[in-house]
Amino acid sequence: MSPDGEASRDALVRMYHVSKSYLPGAFALRDVNLSIEKGDLVFLTGPSGAGKTTLLRLLFAAEQPSEGSIIIGGRNIARLSESAVPSLRRRIGVVFQDFKLLPRRSVEENVGLTLAVRGEPPRQVRSRAFRMLKQVGLQHRRHHPPVTLSGGEQQRVAIARALVGEPELLLADEPTGNLDPELTLEIMDLIAAAAARGTTVVVATHDRSLVERYARRVLRLQAGELIEAGP
Amino acid sequence: MTSLWRAIYFIRTATDGLRSSPVTTAVAVGTIATTLVVMGVFGLALKQMSGIVDRVGQDLTVSAYLEPSVDDAAARALATRVATVEGVASVEVVTREEALRRFQGVAGDRTGLLDGLVENPLPASLEISLASGERHEEGIERLVEAIRGLPGIAEIEHGQEWVGTYERVLAGLRAVSMGLGAVFALAALLIVSNTIRLAIYARRDEVEILALVGASRGFIGTPFLLEGALQGAAGSLLALGVLYLGFRVVVAVSGSALAFLIGHAEPVFFDAPEAIAFVLAGAALGCVGSLSALGSAWRPA
Repeated sequence: MSPDGEASRDALVRMYHVSKSYLPGAFALRDVNLSIEKGDLVFLTGPSGAGKTTLLRLLFAAEQPSEGSIIIGGRNIARLSESAVPSLRRRIGVVFQDFKLLPRRSVEENVGLTLAVRGEPPRQVRSRAFRMLKQVGLQHRRHHPPVTLSGGEQQRVAIARALVGEPELLLADEPTGNLDPELTLEIMDLIAAAAARGTTVVVATHDRSLVERYARRVLRLQAGELIEAGP
Repeated sequence: MTSLWRAIYFIRTATDGLRSSPVTTAVAVGTIATTLVVMGVFGLALKQMSGIVDRVGQDLTVSAYLEPSVDDAAARALATRVATVEGVASVEVVTREEALRRFQGVAGDRTGLLDGLVENPLPASLEISLASGERHEEGIERLVEAIRGLPGIAEIEHGQEWVGTYERVLAGLRAVSMGLGAVFALAALLIVSNTIRLAIYARRDEVEILALVGASRGFIGTPFLLEGALQGAAGSLLALGVLYLGFRVVVAVSGSALAFLIGHAEPVFFDAPEAIAFVLAGAALGCVGSLSALGSAWRPA
């Protein structure tokens, strides 16, 4: 773990004076400095509108910062060209509250999508997707369409899709927001297991009990400013 | 292997996309077909007109009247010389006797007009046909310049002015047809473009998810391009069918009236290469429409 603004040699993610504003003078993020080390599981917390989602979107290059630098794996992605975005995203897994699964594709196809876009052969895609589904306990549902699965199962599919490409960084935006407490723990255990295997994980959540239960480093945002960056 | 798999994936995704929104697909194909039918009608009309031009061109000759002193042997020698002039396809010697026979044939029962004459007053002539690339105003002018002043030629008669006027009218008609074709092509382009834009909008979640997992713009866009091409090809095939049926009905119903309009020639439909070009043009139209839609609808997640 690394204190606010202090660059570590093993940091996977570093942000230097990052600000994001959509209107002049109205900041979604203001002068954020942080460093996240490889293999860390970090919680990003704060009330609604604090800038959690904006920070995650900056990390997977869905948006560009108005100011500052974002270094991921040694590369500044703050001014990434559109054509360079896909290669960045192949190193990052993203999980959302609303799962974002393709309804017309099977569970296995949804998971395999991450590998398919890289041009991996279909047999390899199916084999790796199956192994990943086995890890999340859904191998028996691989031929089903996602809509026939429960919310918890759909989120497990989304996690499988995010992890099947063995990303360096996993970003989860309120991954348990739609789930009941029991399923929440099930999903969080899967995410924590990914961190234990060496994946750097950032989980945005406003669920205080979750943060307390896992006792990991917390980055707290309020009105776009990072007000707490340590455990 | 990867390329083959990608091709299969793209085709499957494109056909899935078309199947998943049958109403939008049917409307797009129908609208493209309607536009292409209108363009096809103009194309067919131009084709019949081109046929008339070709036939007129075949009949187009320049007549060089010979001096009375030129006998048949000298006329043949002169014909051989004229045949070597650039742009000349053939030369026929019309002797004075032949000219008289032709006159009698044309005059019919009014041949009494010649009764008072002691001697055949008609001169011998050379009837010169132009090569296909020279059947225009400038071609005739070049030929006249080349043979004017040759010993034995007294006078040259040609339909240069008439040909010039006819050519200008045809060029105008072609320009109008091409202009209208361009307008209809643009309309078809906008229709395809908007349809694909709707398809992208309807599947924006899919586009967003693909972009999230690292799909390149080409990977996401290619199925949409294929959809546009398939819609264009289907629309043009439908249009071709409608045009053929319409053509057959018009030929059957109008009968001799149509034959008269197009100069007593057999009305012709598009031949195989033209039909293939029509379908390919439809597919290309769909592709370009999709490209335009992708250009404006593309927003990475």
